Amino acid sequence: MQGAAQARKYRLQGAGLDLALPYLMLAPGLMIVLGVLVYPLWDGLRASTRAYRYGSPISDVGLQNYVHLWSDTQFLNALWITVKFVALSVSFEAVLGFALALFCLREFRGIRLLRTVLIIPMVITPVVVAIVFRLIYASDAGMLTALSEAIGGGEAQILGNPLNAFIGLVVLDVWEWTPLMFLILLAGLQSLPHEPFEAARVDGAGAWRVFADLTFPMMRPVLAVAIVLRTIDAFGTFDQVFVLTRGGPGEATRLISIYGYDTAFKFQQTGYAAALFVTIGLVVLALAFSAIRLLRRIDAS
Amino acid sequence: MSTRLARIVTTLFVLAVVLLPIYWLVSTSLKSNREITQEGTLYPHVPTLDNYVRLFTEKQFGSYLTNSLVVTFFSVAIALVVGAMGAYAIVRFRLPFAMEGKVGLFLLTLRIIPPVVILIPVYLLMLSLGLLDTWLGLIATYTAFNVTFCVWMMESFFREIPVDLEEAAMVDGDSRFGAFRRITLPLAAPGLAATAIFAVLVTFNEFLFALALTATPRAMTMPRGTATLIGRIDTDWASMAAAGVIGALPIVFFALLVQRHLVRGLTMGAVK
Repeated sequence: MQGAAQARKYRLQGAGLDLALPYLMLAPGLMIVLGVLVYPLWDGLRASTRAYRYGSPISDVGLQNYVHLWSDTQFLNALWITVKFVALSVSFEAVLGFALALFCLREFRGIRLLRTVLIIPMVITPVVVAIVFRLIYASDAGMLTALSEAIGGGEAQILGNPLNAFIGLVVLDVWEWTPLMFLILLAGLQSLPHEPFEAARVDGAGAWRVFADLTFPMMRPVLAVAIVLRTIDAFGTFDQVFVLTRGGPGEATRLISIYGYDTAFKFQQTGYAAALFVTIGLVVLALAFSAIRLLRRIDAS
Repeated sequence: MSTRLARIVTTLFVLAVVLLPIYWLVSTSLKSNREITQEGTLYPHVPTLDNYVRLFTEKQFGSYLTNSLVVTFFSVAIALVVGAMGAYAIVRFRLPFAMEGKVGLFLLTLRIIPPVVILIPVYLLMLSLGLLDTWLGLIATYTAFNVTFCVWMMESFFREIPVDLEEAAMVDGDSRFGAFRRITLPLAAPGLAATAIFAVLVTFNEFLFALALTATPRAMTMPRGTATLIGRIDTDWASMAAAGVIGALPIVFFALLVQRHLVRGLTMGAVK
């Protein structure tokens, strides 16, 4: 089969001008990608081995920037906050999304409305999502304060308190991205074969048994893909934090992306920031590829 | 009966959780700053459209929107054309050297790398080319990101179209490119649409590169412009809310309009 398709591919090649066609068709895309993505990647690697002053390279420092990262307490702290943020947000999103998807598996009145409304949070511009949550959390003008005052309480302190601000950021992420989990998992549930479930019903299996023995094991690959996708994205979260808290109060919500951005553009440590971002890129790539390998193994078994 | 009640209650609860924040945004945008900070009302007692008027007359929101539309349109259009051609070449032709089977993986790898990783070098590149704070700089950057995505999506769509149809057209005297343009491309139209929708969503909402690459209303996109309204000493809550509404409106409207493609495109890659 593979061989036949291959032979056909070659035959399609044609002659004359057609022979150059694959090159002509690939060239524009590859050129843009090489110019605006690959060259900068290479340039970023170079920049990460240099020291800069006023935005210009002044000397080669080899791998010193990379070594320095691991004794930089601010970097380590930002990394730790990012890991906590990603782990908490993605777990909540997976559990809530799965529960919602199971809930919506049977058609009922209102499900289309529900699905339509659930699309909204994930398509709204992240900057606007952050504005929405600032308007909810703000101590003087926020919804929580208004609600609290309506029932006779005082101002809500969210963004001024380190722990509350961090929780507030997780809540924002869960609000924005649970719908994506939900949609992916619902599609996964809908594509499961019917027979095993009918057999289980004939055998009189309870809802929990069906879930534990059938639904969950069969959904594992889809769940894994959804979690990997969200984890990769969550690692790069920037817009929402930049607008909501700018990383504060103190360092409570300073994710790695914010720290890197400030290092580069506020403190002008271009080389050091480049090394930081290359490190993050390698971590995410390693994560992604090990997840792909893991999925292949699940598929094979 | 009780399961039905539980279902209704759950549905209403989920709707409330999703819609309440949006209600608060819209309702804040219709209040005056006085009403927002001093009275803390739960709905606008004296509704006003002043905040919206102020955005366009004093805060140059019109140019942010124009910039967003121009940049999104061109980067998505170019990426679609270029990406569809590239994907087709990968699927149907024998590629030279070691490229066979590797171009797709290469582009996928580029897609996985978080955009922040190339933020600094892209900034330095645009600085040296004199493209900071221009449409062209943003369009070039977004086009590159969109190309990787378009090739990746279109590859799977082209793979599903049988090659026999093109062969038949070529037997009838069509050229290789003619067969692609007249037969394959129209058949892949739903795939192109799904790809375009995603590219539009991502590009219109992009913030990080807009933040680094633009500095004035000349090129600032809507998310970037909106962020400039924030962070002053006295927060202008009312303008911020109005900017949020206007920033969210076009993209939410667009998404609801193309909902079916959106859900299909979103889940297809993930489930397969």
